[in-house]
Amino acid sequence: MTDEPILSVRDLKKHYPIRKGIFNRQVGAAKAVDGIGFDIAPGETLGLVGESGCGKSTAASSVIRLEEPTAGEVVFNGNGRGGASRDSDGTHPNDVTEFSDAELKRFRRGAQMIFQDPASSFDPRMTVGSAVAEMLEVHGMSDRHRRRAIVEDLLERVGLSAEDYDRYPHEFSGGQKQRIALARALVLNPDLIIADEPVSALDVSIQAEILSLIDDLQTDFDLSLLFISHDMSVIRRICDRVAVMYLGEIVEVGPTDEVFADPQHPYTEALLSSIPTPNPRSTVGGIELAGTVPSPTNPPSGCRFHTRCHRVIQPDGVDVDQSDWRGILNFRDRVAAGQVDVESIRENIVVDDGPTSDDHVRAQLRTEFDIDERIGDPEIEGTLQDAIDRLLAGDDEAAAELLSDRFTTPCAETVPERTVHSPDHESSCLRHESEQATAPGAADD
Amino acid sequence: MATPLLEVEDLKTTFSTDNGDLTAVDGIDFAVDEGETVCIVGESGSGKTVATESITRIVKEPPGRVEGTVRFKGRDLLSMSEEELRQIRGNGIAHIFQNPQEAMNHCYTVGWQIAEALQIHQDVPDKKARARAVDLLDRVGIANASTRFDDYPHEFSGGQKQRVMIAMALVSDPDLLIADEPTTALDVTVQAQILKLLDELQDEFDMGILFVTHDLGVVAQIADRIVVMYAGKVMERGGVLDIFEHPAHPYTQQLLNCVPEIGGNEGGIPGTLPNPHDPPDGCRFAPRCSYAEQTCRTGGQPEELDVSPGQRVSCIHYRDGRDPSLLRENAPGVESGSNGVSSADD
Repeated sequence: MTDEPILSVRDLKKHYPIRKGIFNRQVGAAKAVDGIGFDIAPGETLGLVGESGCGKSTAASSVIRLEEPTAGEVVFNGNGRGGASRDSDGTHPNDVTEFSDAELKRFRRGAQMIFQDPASSFDPRMTVGSAVAEMLEVHGMSDRHRRRAIVEDLLERVGLSAEDYDRYPHEFSGGQKQRIALARALVLNPDLIIADEPVSALDVSIQAEILSLIDDLQTDFDLSLLFISHDMSVIRRICDRVAVMYLGEIVEVGPTDEVFADPQHPYTEALLSSIPTPNPRSTVGGIELAGTVPSPTNPPSGCRFHTRCHRVIQPDGVDVDQSDWRGILNFRDRVAAGQVDVESIRENIVVDDGPTSDDHVRAQLRTEFDIDERIGDPEIEGTLQDAIDRLLAGDDEAAAELLSDRFTTPCAETVPERTVHSPDHESSCLRHESEQATAPGAADD
Repeated sequence: MATPLLEVEDLKTTFSTDNGDLTAVDGIDFAVDEGETVCIVGESGSGKTVATESITRIVKEPPGRVEGTVRFKGRDLLSMSEEELRQIRGNGIAHIFQNPQEAMNHCYTVGWQIAEALQIHQDVPDKKARARAVDLLDRVGIANASTRFDDYPHEFSGGQKQRVMIAMALVSDPDLLIADEPTTALDVTVQAQILKLLDELQDEFDMGILFVTHDLGVVAQIADRIVVMYAGKVMERGGVLDIFEHPAHPYTQQLLNCVPEIGGNEGGIPGTLPNPHDPPDGCRFAPRCSYAEQTCRTGGQPEELDVSPGQRVSCIHYRDGRDPSLLRENAPGVESGSNGVSSADD
């Protein structure tokens, strides 16, 4: 069978327990990877992209079992294991998470990993040739001369020379070390390579060289690649398909061109618009993502991106300007967290004539949260004014309660399902669900 | 026009090593005006960082040796005593480095470190220094600044640490900010926030910014003027539009070609930087340049020639009586007037 994926990941989870107290009781878990799934076809490159802290690297090391996944299935059909079917109890014979030690060793011959920092992935006291040849030795090739011949040939194929065999890591530049890392990954003739930020530590001009080398080698060796990067332009250059991760989940997956041209998830949209365009006449992207990725120990409910989303949905009966809505929700969250300090705002206002009045504070609050001076909807405006008044009166709790009672979003309540946009392009956003539900005619076409 | 904020003339930084002298920066000039952002671009190893560290002489001497003239507000920094220099560093000229982890002390709270940076230079009571630090933390976008004042560096994320570094650099109202790859280690989303912040702060304090980066996307967004460096020499300089729309030097053209949105060159620039112990004769870029001819490989680096107002290039093809049209025709570059190469419109 040729159309079965080389790697098929389903509902993969990796939770790190958080322990406390003298009995080391588990009090919670950091959900670094929380139920992700993807397929990689033979010869295909899948990109995994997201901000730092979103779980990309954990996903990679769980797939290759450098870390034991908490749950899920990773079916690897390389190593000539293809064509297997599920057993009667529903388990798959090629499931990496169930491999025994012997099977795992064989699996690691077929799946190799490349890391971000080439400097720290070599033993400084071992020649690079023997570092690469060691792989062959570990996997049972006992003929020293043959090992050397294979490695010398490979060094040449990655753009170095056979004489480099006897040199030490410190004699090479970062880009050259990454070439050696590639040679080491290829020496066992794997079917799959997992590359974790392989070019992030390199200079742009070197990056371009390594990327085109990876591209060439992929064709020569008929490799499949899982390529992890936080750099969208690198992903765009090398990947066939891209999966966008946010806080342990995949929010959008699709063909690279399609995702870049027509991003469906607001997070993808924001990521793309943050890339500085190399054109001095265009201004930097319109969408600003405030803050950083929330903690994975206590991820937001519903859609995990709703705390930062610029397209966060307004509930039925609310119709205000979208940026005001985002501002109101930010205001709500900050008040609830006890982080709006009226007194310090008052101190920081500089007034030319006379003392600072409450009105100055009101205005300042609205500017800080990007809320319009006056919101069209009188009911919303009233609630907002009410809350601000309670804040000014020093009753933070009442203000928080009022705000959380009145301003809610469906995004915080419902976990979005996958929506299919085109055969390969899927995203998880509530906006698309409601669009599909209200427009059944479009689905019939 | 008044004298520039910073004037660098014939700056030369040499390191003595076991293999003989190594000239990292080999006679470069540039200037930064008030309120202006100048970007130094080039591959790693081209001497960008050493050049900026030579300005306030934070390169280690010995083995380093800095020669030339560096005038800051008309005063020559290179002839100053260490004591006088210390008054300028962090006070008139502040540095931000690529790696905020290494630039902070892990044993002290971040607030204390910001306040210290102020109190070293100015006689400010503790209470006032604290207020100023909290205010700055708030300004650089650290939520809940008065509580975060007492947190230690490890309690901040990478992007937050870089913000703290910026707060530390700005605490004594510097006139010049030297930022060495300040966003390279950060995510794009955080990078966008930091760049926006620098822009706002520049408007407010009318700072000059000297920005070192290899990311041409960032350069396009923030630079007023660009200095292109290669192997310790300046290859080309000019306004941001000149450089992006009409790059004159073959090296600048190749560099722009490496940007996916501009050029189609996915293979990078062939060859590597020359050995700094033994730089080639003539133009430093000649060994990797497809337009190089015999004249390029003799003598010293070609003199800088005006190609348009404000744009100067060090390439013999632009000398009088020569025809640079071949270089012009094949040049990559952003089309002038186009509005965004790949804008992410809704």
